[in-house]
Amino acid sequence: MTALLELRQLSGGYSPIQIFQNVDLVVQPGETVGFFGPNGHGKTTLMKTISGVLEPWSGDVIFEGRRINREAPRGSRRFRNFNYDAVTRRRMDPKAVARAGLIHVAQGNLLFPEMTVDEVLSIAPMAAAGREKGNRFGLTSIHSLFPRLAERRGHKIRFLSGGERQMVSIAAGLLAVPRLLILDEPTLGLSPKLRLELCQSIRAIKDMGVPLIVIDQDVAFLSALIDRLHLFDHGRIARVLGKAEIPDHDTLMSMLFGAAIT
Amino acid sequence: MISFDTFLAVASGGLVLGALYALMAAGLAAVWTTLGIFNFAHGAFIALGAYIGWQLADAGGAGLGLTAGVVVATVALFGFGILFHLVLVRPFERRADIVTVSVITTLAGTAIIESAINLIWGPRSKQLARLGTGEIDLGLIRIPMGDLVLVAVVAATLAGLGWFLGRTRTGRAMRAVSQNREAAELMGIDVPRLYALAFGLSAAMAGLAGIFVGGLRFMTPTMGADPLMKALIVVILGGIARFTSPIYAALLVGLVESFSNYFVGLYWTPAVLFAIMIAVLYVKPSGLFGHHQRTL
Repeated sequence: MTALLELRQLSGGYSPIQIFQNVDLVVQPGETVGFFGPNGHGKTTLMKTISGVLEPWSGDVIFEGRRINREAPRGSRRFRNFNYDAVTRRRMDPKAVARAGLIHVAQGNLLFPEMTVDEVLSIAPMAAAGREKGNRFGLTSIHSLFPRLAERRGHKIRFLSGGERQMVSIAAGLLAVPRLLILDEPTLGLSPKLRLELCQSIRAIKDMGVPLIVIDQDVAFLSALIDRLHLFDHGRIARVLGKAEIPDHDTLMSMLFGAAIT
Repeated sequence: MISFDTFLAVASGGLVLGALYALMAAGLAAVWTTLGIFNFAHGAFIALGAYIGWQLADAGGAGLGLTAGVVVATVALFGFGILFHLVLVRPFERRADIVTVSVITTLAGTAIIESAINLIWGPRSKQLARLGTGEIDLGLIRIPMGDLVLVAVVAATLAGLGWFLGRTRTGRAMRAVSQNREAAELMGIDVPRLYALAFGLSAAMAGLAGIFVGGLRFMTPTMGADPLMKALIVVILGGIARFTSPIYAALLVGLVESFSNYFVGLYWTPAVLFAIMIAVLYVKPSGLFGHHQRTL
């Protein structure tokens, strides 16, 4: 069986600073995996590299058995003696990644401030064009998943709350008919009530059969949702825990940082 | 100080001028908002549009009439805009200093286009006929038919642009790219293609504007410099929060220019306009109708 997503020795960062190195990961079809780790250790950078927003430095990203990065190393040139941007190749194309069905809902996505909710949702299915016939996530199913979006359809993104904007981001990701959906800290900065609401929606998305990669800081939420948890620390996957092995938050923190300081 | 009839004449002249500026500024703003760069070759596009129109329409060229000139100039400039983007902007797109580099490359494009016009059509000034002849009586005031056609065509073009940006998927995607490029890429939007399209549309509008300018003034290879400056004032004055903001600012600039021509004289008008622009920038840096502006 081909894996849904496979990372082979993937490294990357913001040149000249490397953020993560030699990450290996396999996500099987139908699996839901979680990432947990301290802020600033490269989880978001890794996800941005998988979706092609950032260029991978080395290693490969294989999605549904197909390599979605160029084989050539970073900064390689079509003509060896030229050092111009015009002839250097991008290793990955975010558009092609999204159109293949690997949809990344970015962390704290500000979206398009001057567009209305409906306008954003109307362009979201563009990533599914030519891949999916008969969208299984219509606008009606989005509105039943996020009733607030039906209420606020004519409002500009600029006037939405953080939680509502997050809902638009996730809804847009679903309308792109994801074959794998990456949610990067979907509940970041939300009030406890909104957070609960959003967690329920994410569970509902999982029950629809959408494979997920979820990054979050809420271990209880993650352990109820996912099959495997990856502890991410200092730019590498420090440990992988099966569903049964996921401990509570404090134990997890001491696993990452050593014994708790008393 | 000014009779009512003169006031009406000056005001209507200002509004016609404003409509023309709106067309030029909307094209300029289309590239500015979408790509985040300032296209200094917009004036040269205007000149090129006028000369292509002249070649088709004038008896000295193909003599096919002005309508053919308008159509061919607009379509040709659309293609030329895409080519221009491909050759002079796109190769530098991934540089961190794209804004500075594009200033030089688009200025270079201006020089090349103006020289090419000089080579092909020669330096002697030409003039285009106006779209529409005679005058029309609107009760209080008689307006040249050409002015009326100009305002109608500009209104239709801008309405079409508004429909494209607001209602079609491609237009909405273009607005999405201008507001958040990274989020647009993650949604699978083909950013380079929309950049090319924005350049094409902008150039097509410049071509159309060029035909009108060619009917109002004499055509020279550098005829685009003055309209470019006015369009720049309009875009800065109005801000680019919505695609309609330059339109209001254009009407304002047209009126100010018209009245300033009447009261202070032709040579002082640019100074008056710039003074107003600077004063507005002191008070409202994002422009009269702006609340959010792309930083240059």
